[in-house]
Amino acid sequence: MSLLKPFSKLPALNTANILLVESEEQFQQSLADALVEETAVTVNVRLAKSLPLPKENEESRPRIDLVVFIINMTSERSFKSAEASLKYLDPGYFLGKVCFLATNVRNASVPTEYLDAVRKLAASLHCPLLFAEDQTPDGVANATERLLTILKVAAGLVPMATALYVSSLTRCSVPPDIDQPSFD
Amino acid sequence: MAETLNLSSPPDSDSSSISDQSVSSRIGNRSLRVAKKEKQKLEAVDPFVKALKYFSDVDAGTPVVGNDEFESNLVRVERVAYSKGLSPNAISIMLEFAMSLRMGTSPCVRVLKCLIPASVVPQEAVVRAWVWLGVGKIPPSTQVLFIKWVLTIFDMIDAKDQLRAIYGFIFSFVTDENMCPFICHLLYLLTRKGSVRVFRVRKLLELQSKLGRQPFLLHLLSLYKVFCPELVTLSIPSRMRSGFRNHNSHWKSALIAVQKRNNSQVASSTSLPFTIKDKPGSRKRKHSHLQMPALHSVVNKQAQTESSSTRKVVPLVQVQSFAELLDNIHRIELPSQMGSLLGSSLALQYLDCVQDESALLRLNFWLGYALHEEFLFCGDGGASQNSEEARLFLNKLLSTQHFLQEGFSSTEAFLYKFLCIWDGSLLRPQILELLSNIPVVPSTQIRRLLFEPLMQLFFTSSVFFKCGMMECLNNMLLKWLTWHSVYALEDDLDISLNSQTSINMTLSGFKDSVMELIHFVGRLASVGLQLEGCHTLFLNFVLDFYETVCDTFLKYGLPLVVMPPAGVFYPALFATDPVSVDRLAHIMKRYKVNLVSAKSQEKNTEQAFHISRQTVREFNHYMVVMVNCLWNSKMFHTGMGVELGEELLLKSNVPQYWKSFDLIHHPAFMSYAISFHQKCWPGRKDMDLNSIKHSKPWTWYLEYLYSQGYDGLKQIVPAQ
Amino acid sequence: MDDLTKRLLQRLIRRMPAQMLKTTLEKWDRLTAAQQQSLDFTQPKWALIETLLTIFEENEFTVKHITELEMLHVINNPNQGMWHAFHLMDPDDTAITVELTQFKEQFKSHLRELVRHVSIKIKKHTDEAVWIRIAWGDGFSKPNHLKPTYVVHHLQTPYVFVTSLTSKQKPLLSQALTLSTRHQGIKDANLSGRKLTAIRDLLMKQYQQVFTTRYPSPLEETNQPVSNPRIEREQAGLLANRLQMACEAFGYGVLPQLQSAVYKLETKYKDDTNKTMTEREEPFRCVVKFASSNLLESIRQCASSGIASTPVTPLLSSIPIKGRNYFVIKDNGLGPS
Repeated sequence: MSLLKPFSKLPALNTANILLVESEEQFQQSLADALVEETAVTVNVRLAKSLPLPKENEESRPRIDLVVFIINMTSERSFKSAEASLKYLDPGYFLGKVCFLATNVRNASVPTEYLDAVRKLAASLHCPLLFAEDQTPDGVANATERLLTILKVAAGLVPMATALYVSSLTRCSVPPDIDQPSFD
Repeated sequence: MAETLNLSSPPDSDSSSISDQSVSSRIGNRSLRVAKKEKQKLEAVDPFVKALKYFSDVDAGTPVVGNDEFESNLVRVERVAYSKGLSPNAISIMLEFAMSLRMGTSPCVRVLKCLIPASVVPQEAVVRAWVWLGVGKIPPSTQVLFIKWVLTIFDMIDAKDQLRAIYGFIFSFVTDENMCPFICHLLYLLTRKGSVRVFRVRKLLELQSKLGRQPFLLHLLSLYKVFCPELVTLSIPSRMRSGFRNHNSHWKSALIAVQKRNNSQVASSTSLPFTIKDKPGSRKRKHSHLQMPALHSVVNKQAQTESSSTRKVVPLVQVQSFAELLDNIHRIELPSQMGSLLGSSLALQYLDCVQDESALLRLNFWLGYALHEEFLFCGDGGASQNSEEARLFLNKLLSTQHFLQEGFSSTEAFLYKFLCIWDGSLLRPQILELLSNIPVVPSTQIRRLLFEPLMQLFFTSSVFFKCGMMECLNNMLLKWLTWHSVYALEDDLDISLNSQTSINMTLSGFKDSVMELIHFVGRLASVGLQLEGCHTLFLNFVLDFYETVCDTFLKYGLPLVVMPPAGVFYPALFATDPVSVDRLAHIMKRYKVNLVSAKSQEKNTEQAFHISRQTVREFNHYMVVMVNCLWNSKMFHTGMGVELGEELLLKSNVPQYWKSFDLIHHPAFMSYAISFHQKCWPGRKDMDLNSIKHSKPWTWYLEYLYSQGYDGLKQIVPAQ
Repeated sequence: MDDLTKRLLQRLIRRMPAQMLKTTLEKWDRLTAAQQQSLDFTQPKWALIETLLTIFEENEFTVKHITELEMLHVINNPNQGMWHAFHLMDPDDTAITVELTQFKEQFKSHLRELVRHVSIKIKKHTDEAVWIRIAWGDGFSKPNHLKPTYVVHHLQTPYVFVTSLTSKQKPLLSQALTLSTRHQGIKDANLSGRKLTAIRDLLMKQYQQVFTTRYPSPLEETNQPVSNPRIEREQAGLLANRLQMACEAFGYGVLPQLQSAVYKLETKYKDDTNKTMTEREEPFRCVVKFASSNLLESIRQCASSGIASTPVTPLLSSIPIKGRNYFVIKDNGLGPS
């Protein structure tokens, strides 16, 4: 079992590296295409279906600053795969260098329990949970922008901010059960 | 059931009562010969009238098969129905003919299918048809067809009072498994607060245990719960599939066609001056609830004038002007689709002044589900969602809320849920504006409902989103404060939270909420400024917020003064643009005015509020820092906020470091100092900014700065 | 025109959308230009039917004409109804020489021998297919034109496609077909679908196919989207592998649109936790049905995206290879039928 470690390699100048993990390999491609458009810093994107990553790439792989798990809320498989991948990450990543990105959350076929499970997972790992509208260009652009915001902090490119500090502000909290709209 | 049955005349006398209205009644008094002639004439003129007469007079038990007369008459009626629609009278006759099964069950379906009203449907006819339904010879599928028809033309029934009177009778059909979904829909449209009774709730619950959690039962029950929460204890799932299906497109398409044809004939003189015109309802969206049903002006002018004098209620649709609204305000009938109210300002005026609780409840209920299904729980995850349509809908909702000057509670509930799954970009302007409209949130809830989701969105989004959010929170605070200054009662204790609900809030509770909000924004602003490197645009939005905060006491009469945190004060003080520094000075000045007047009030009246020493101390401290730093060139003096070790400062090799943030050397004002220097000593080659500090040039320099529009600075330390 | 003819026309017109009706009538070319002009296709159907009825009466059209119109409509819209494929077996030596007129005559005479009242219409379509419309009657009743059977056969091929055939009529049709095409027998090809073109393409292999080789082709490289050098796929090998596996089973091109595949299981129940079921002598019977608007495309997508495991199970890949979508699975593997 090979762990992915956050500090095993040296950072490159003005560079941020992001790893997108998605079992369905649908959204990650469009997201990656948008991420590398960033001009202020050099963004390298690595795409993976699941963890662990293949050993043979270890040499060429740069230091990963942020790991993003993309979860399609309409497929339980997607969640299970992300959950299984988590154990191949060094605990150091959970100090602000992991985030979850959920898609399709507004779909009618998403059971509430499932949404709760994803929230609980993110909350228990003290990670942020973002939601994305992956089906519209605006949604993709916005998701990209938000990931870049987190990535820049995680890669140490924002002065006076550390990943751990920002993650203490953005991490997911298990929301209270706001049940029925309060008609009464 | 017995009492309700009596409401309509016994079935036997029907033929006479109906022919009274029909053309043939005029014949009665004349001599037979003349009558015959007249009749022939009439028949020659209008075979349709003859056909109607056939159906009103035909004997029971006449065979259908091979009956050419029947066939030709029915075809005639059908033709008129599909082309022009049937008059109220014709509807009565045909409905009576069909439901009485005078010629057996087979023509019944065919007749029902062609019952397309041209204007209105007389209520009496519908009630009578219900009575026939109770007789119980009609096959189940035809019964269902009849109810579907009633649902389709519901808005065209000229009055609903008698239908409501037989609510119990209609309710009794709910036990029939075939009819149950449709009966539930009809009851849903008819239900008033008074119709919710314990035994009905019990019956529905019993049905639910038998049929399972059917959406139509749940919808009716949840409406009951809205009216009488104490009677329905059942918890209703937050995610519900849409309850009532769009029943029959056959009639709808025919109706639309007929209406189009009639409208074009009547000419478009019936443009409604007071209603916002919606797009025509021809857009097809299968699962959509967004399409706000327009208040159809189905009824043409003629029908209106002849009927409005006799009818007991006036549908809101027919009210054309504010004057008319005032005349009829006691007998307004609301449409069955509450959503249509949103589009009409007249309807909103009515709603606002009548304060009809059940109308508001129904509107809220409809809105809650529409928002829920369209944005939280869409069929396809929003893939095909027409965001343009959604945007228009929310804009309309916003304009409604502005008109009523308060938010709907269903919007609020929706927002709390939506924030938890929002991506931060979908319909951002609308969502942020809706958010700024929410009423005061109790301080015990505010954190989990509002702050936590907002914080996650805020810190993961771009600086422009941060600015938008800051503006939204500023507007929210403004609305809360305005609302307080308007609604707060004399005794300053109980304030009703919202004109729609009866939840009250004490003044201290309100103060707690406002304080929580201000502190929360303070935290967002400090960290946001830090993360964004004191972004100038963002700083300006933050200062906007504090311009509201510094005046809470004088402008809005709320006894509360909250100082900005150091994370906001210092970035503004050391900002690189002079406008921010000037605005900070202005804000400090307003704080001063507020504090002074609060202090004087505290002295005058015993019961005035108490400003904590801490607040005053904080203010004084900021003031000292500001004046020392900008005017007195005493940066880094002991006792100031920013203290650094002497050796460290010497090590930095900055000459006269204590001067580095005075009005001459401050990065925001340096350019002014240089241009002043050039103007003052045009001949001098070497620039010595320190020479401005001499008393005379210094006074001139200050005058020069103030003349550039920096009034904030001027207000704090007026030129000597 | 008698009542039956009227009903036949009414049914036919009701089935066709107004726009299609217009083009079909134009193609049919039996109405005068003035009559064509007089038709208003924006009218409601019932009104349109009435005008058409009067026109047909004016022209003294009979059942023959209406069936002609119907056939034209069916030929132009072959993707309606459920089509079943049949396979002709053991051709005689002379089977290859059968040509159209001969087939026409033979088929008609053979079927007329078997059924007294039958109305047969045969038409050759441009794509070499022979279309046969059969209205069945029985010993005493006239042919029922309301429920015709359509048969499509490409001469010199062993395939026949049939829609709306009852089990009673099946042996009659089979016999007439085998005799007139000079074959020894006919059997069910276990393939059915809503699109005639799709099942025809599948059986006649008229789509881009794959020929499995033992060596992976270098073709995959071209399939990959041209990517930014700053985007790297960690498990690129796996992806390429999956794509290859999927394409080996289903090819690269457009696949015929099948709507369903049915697997009838008659296998022994195997589950250690459930003893009573496992110990039963009889096989456990159940039916598994896959349905989609384009089944083969869906399965290929599942395999290439990793939702279905690769290599693709022969159960699925044998749909295109064997050209069938109905399988019975017994314990010794794929059963004969």
